[in-house]
Amino acid sequence: MLFEHGKLYFLDGAMGTMLQRAGLKPGELPELLALTNPALLTDIHRQYIAAGAQIVYANTFGANRRKLQKHGRTVDEVVSAAVQAAKAACAGTDAKVAVDIGPLGELLAPLGTLPFEEAVGMFAEIAAAGERAGADLAVIETMTDLYEAKAALLAVKEATGLPVMVTMTFDESGRTFTGCTVASMAATLESLGADAIGLNCSLGPQQLLPVLRELCAATRLPVIAKPNAGLPDPVDGHYDLSPDAFAQAMVDAVKAGVSIVGGCCGTNPDYIRALNEAVRDLTPGERTHTPRSIVCTPTTPVVIDGVRVIGERINPTGKKRFQQALLENDLDYIVDVAIAQEDAGASILDVNVGYPGVDEVAMLPHVVQKLQEATTLPLQLDSTNAEALAAALRVYNGKAVVNSVNGDPRVLEKLLPIVKKYGAAVVGLTLDENGLPKTAGQRTRIAHNILKAALAHGIPQEDLWIDCLTLTVSAQQDQAEETLEAIRRVTNILKLRTVLGVSNISFGLPNRLLVTQTFLIRALSAGLTLPIINPNQKEMMDAVAAFRVLSGEDAQCSAYVQRFAQPAEAAPRAAAPAAAMTLDEAIVRGLKADAARLAKTALSETPGLALVEEHLIPALDKVGADYEAGRAFLPQLLSAAQAAQAVFAVIQEDLAANGGETVRKAKVIIATVKGDIHDIGKNIVKTVMANYGYEMIDLGRDVAPETIVEAAVRENVRLVGLSALMTTTLPAMAETVRQLQQLPDPPAIMVGGAVVTPEYAASMGAHYARDARASVEIARKLLG
Amino acid sequence: MQPNIDEALRYLGIRSDPENTIRRQMTLLADEISSQIKPRFLWRMMPLTRSDDGILLGDILLTGQSAERMLHSCQRCAVLTCTLGIEFDTLVRRMQMRDMSSAVMLDTLGSAYVEAACDEAEEEIRSRCPGMYLTDRFSPGYGDLPLAIQPQLLDLCGGQRIGVTVTPSLLMIPQKSVTALIGVSDSPQMARIRGCAHCSMNQSCTLRKAGKTCAV
Repeated sequence: MLFEHGKLYFLDGAMGTMLQRAGLKPGELPELLALTNPALLTDIHRQYIAAGAQIVYANTFGANRRKLQKHGRTVDEVVSAAVQAAKAACAGTDAKVAVDIGPLGELLAPLGTLPFEEAVGMFAEIAAAGERAGADLAVIETMTDLYEAKAALLAVKEATGLPVMVTMTFDESGRTFTGCTVASMAATLESLGADAIGLNCSLGPQQLLPVLRELCAATRLPVIAKPNAGLPDPVDGHYDLSPDAFAQAMVDAVKAGVSIVGGCCGTNPDYIRALNEAVRDLTPGERTHTPRSIVCTPTTPVVIDGVRVIGERINPTGKKRFQQALLENDLDYIVDVAIAQEDAGASILDVNVGYPGVDEVAMLPHVVQKLQEATTLPLQLDSTNAEALAAALRVYNGKAVVNSVNGDPRVLEKLLPIVKKYGAAVVGLTLDENGLPKTAGQRTRIAHNILKAALAHGIPQEDLWIDCLTLTVSAQQDQAEETLEAIRRVTNILKLRTVLGVSNISFGLPNRLLVTQTFLIRALSAGLTLPIINPNQKEMMDAVAAFRVLSGEDAQCSAYVQRFAQPAEAAPRAAAPAAAMTLDEAIVRGLKADAARLAKTALSETPGLALVEEHLIPALDKVGADYEAGRAFLPQLLSAAQAAQAVFAVIQEDLAANGGETVRKAKVIIATVKGDIHDIGKNIVKTVMANYGYEMIDLGRDVAPETIVEAAVRENVRLVGLSALMTTTLPAMAETVRQLQQLPDPPAIMVGGAVVTPEYAASMGAHYARDARASVEIARKLLG
Repeated sequence: MQPNIDEALRYLGIRSDPENTIRRQMTLLADEISSQIKPRFLWRMMPLTRSDDGILLGDILLTGQSAERMLHSCQRCAVLTCTLGIEFDTLVRRMQMRDMSSAVMLDTLGSAYVEAACDEAEEEIRSRCPGMYLTDRFSPGYGDLPLAIQPQLLDLCGGQRIGVTVTPSLLMIPQKSVTALIGVSDSPQMARIRGCAHCSMNQSCTLRKAGKTCAV
């Protein structure tokens, strides 16, 4: 163990500040000094060691491939020289050298454009070079994006055997600039195997103290504080804390439990010396971390300290429409299912995409990424395919839960290493190679075996959740009590959280909801904390709300009161009585719920196709004409489109259930070109066109020309829509058009976006789409 | 701080909204933004020097006539970075998946909000320059000031410290981010940036195509 419990460790202070003092100009790449002036670096490291630093950070913060290749340098030569310069300073002392890894300076997709694996590769290069050059440990610092921190941590662990510290940059509110919470950071990085975690940069020690306290309570790892010397003055660049004031403020951090201390921007050896003198005789404050079950996304930690509903709807079993969506790669439908559950009050979403004809290894990570763009809820990855789980856990942002393993040793040996590596929680089913045991005692024994296996793999107790399994009561009536008893024993004896899918209980009975609801309430009373249910069923969520009141979890009954005090429906936007409204009117006025309801009624007499041709399209045309005439505006055009979408969904549902001719017209590809991530315009066009029946193949944003060409060929598409928002991305648009036009039978192309002009479109040989409405007209003319 | 709703309506091309329905929704969304999103800015004062090729801001060469016209009588220049942060991008992205109509309104409100934050930053800069005169605020892409200096400006200002990054195609992420220059002079400065000729949207603006202006 690198860091002993209860012991203090001293880091160095700022490198950049020292280099600027030595004459480095703003904009110059400081990492190159390792090659041009290593003696300067060694001297600075020496000053810090003399001031009391036990770990110095090599000058490799920005030594990544992207930055260095502009200067014709390799990562290996720069990192190696920087580590050597630091080691030279350590000679004859006990000081250790950390290879320093900072952010890449580009945001990872989906927020930015840098692919996750590319980031992992760039980080691995730095870490491996550091280890080869003799670094004693790695430090990942100044991270604001948890996803990037995860990429870096995975890279260090995969590419080296070095111990690793991770520090992120928080502001006073206790969040990073990307919205990451302290609890999410701690849960994710601790589970992924960091050796110490903490904060650096951003503010002075005083402002960061509350955040440090929160972190000390949220992790069992040693906590690092490396704050700035206060805040810089924008006019003269001076930081406002003196070495003594900095050191005094750090005393409180150490008393709060911080055990690894140093300084960031604005500090110099005087600060580290003052810090050393002020705290070296202190013992870091006693830590009061109590292990808790937690899963998270960066912005949303979900602590399992009460009933937390897991939404079960992302699952193709028995759902025709869902199966169709999976087979057609219609991820928008799956996203809608997720959003509905989030809005209905689920805390975690189960994700199951296993279905014949679906490549789960590709689909599961794909769906996970798409869902994480749409919802902030943590996900439960529901699969037994080890490869699919590994691929999805790898790209998951935060700490996920795997559903599931069971008591079969082969299953445990196959899946637990993956769970451990990617820092997930895991659900264990109380069955094994001999099947599902009948008694509560046998199920508890299996749970115990799973616990022992999890602990042996280094997965802590709080990260194992047990599913005692529900059987259908109409078939095996005695089993309901056994399940409940098993929940009691696992909760009270093994001290583990339990998960349970409850809906199965009522299969084959009339008034299923009543039986399911009653069983849910009994299971919750037995100690169940993680029911897997359909949160869209109001009665089930009502039962959970009532249970939370009785258990005391819902303090002052406030959530319960709020739930039932709200009017069932929001006030209608317009005053006209809904009863008298026609479907056309509902669409024109953008009333989604009314439009869907009226469409359902109409479907009993009118076929879906006729509904589209006779009502939906004319209504949209009316709004479109108003929009063109300046009587309606973009928000209204889109509201109408959304109401039409709701009608479409009703028709699709009906078709999936009853079979029948599809209402889709021709396929249209739409994409924002390579390098461009502003895609709201493209999404507007997609929303409006989809409601004229076109099958929109949305390739997303920042899409390479080759991807668009490949999709156009594969889908045999006759119209491609491209959007570009920046003058700098127009060349990518022109290149895409050029490549499409080289196809033997090129599709028509329409282009749009803020910087695209009719003349420019014409010069490329593309149609100019002024706005969403114009896109529809182009498609009608070309495709009908 | 609140986004200016009239300004956001103008970005949507809405001059009159007789039933006030859009304005009502925009007001609700504006409240949501200002309660959830805290704009961040930072700035740094830099000396200006002259070279044969143009004005030097630190080591950054500001080529072209726009910089010359704006800064010719200035001794110093404030470099500003302002952003709504990636949380706003996420908010709009999530809203797009729920309600495209609200997402569009949110997006335009975001544009107005980041401008309001820039105004606040400018006031702070003004308060630190007593007795001096400030030029209008202008950004890479304005006139002939090249967009290509965006990464250097961001580095100079330390924009990464508030989470602003720039892609290889020179797009800033978060999307509602601004870098700007404000010249500081000891002589009074004219207001110069007004009207379509100075707007980077002037080739594609829908208002302009319809023969109207946004009156900025």
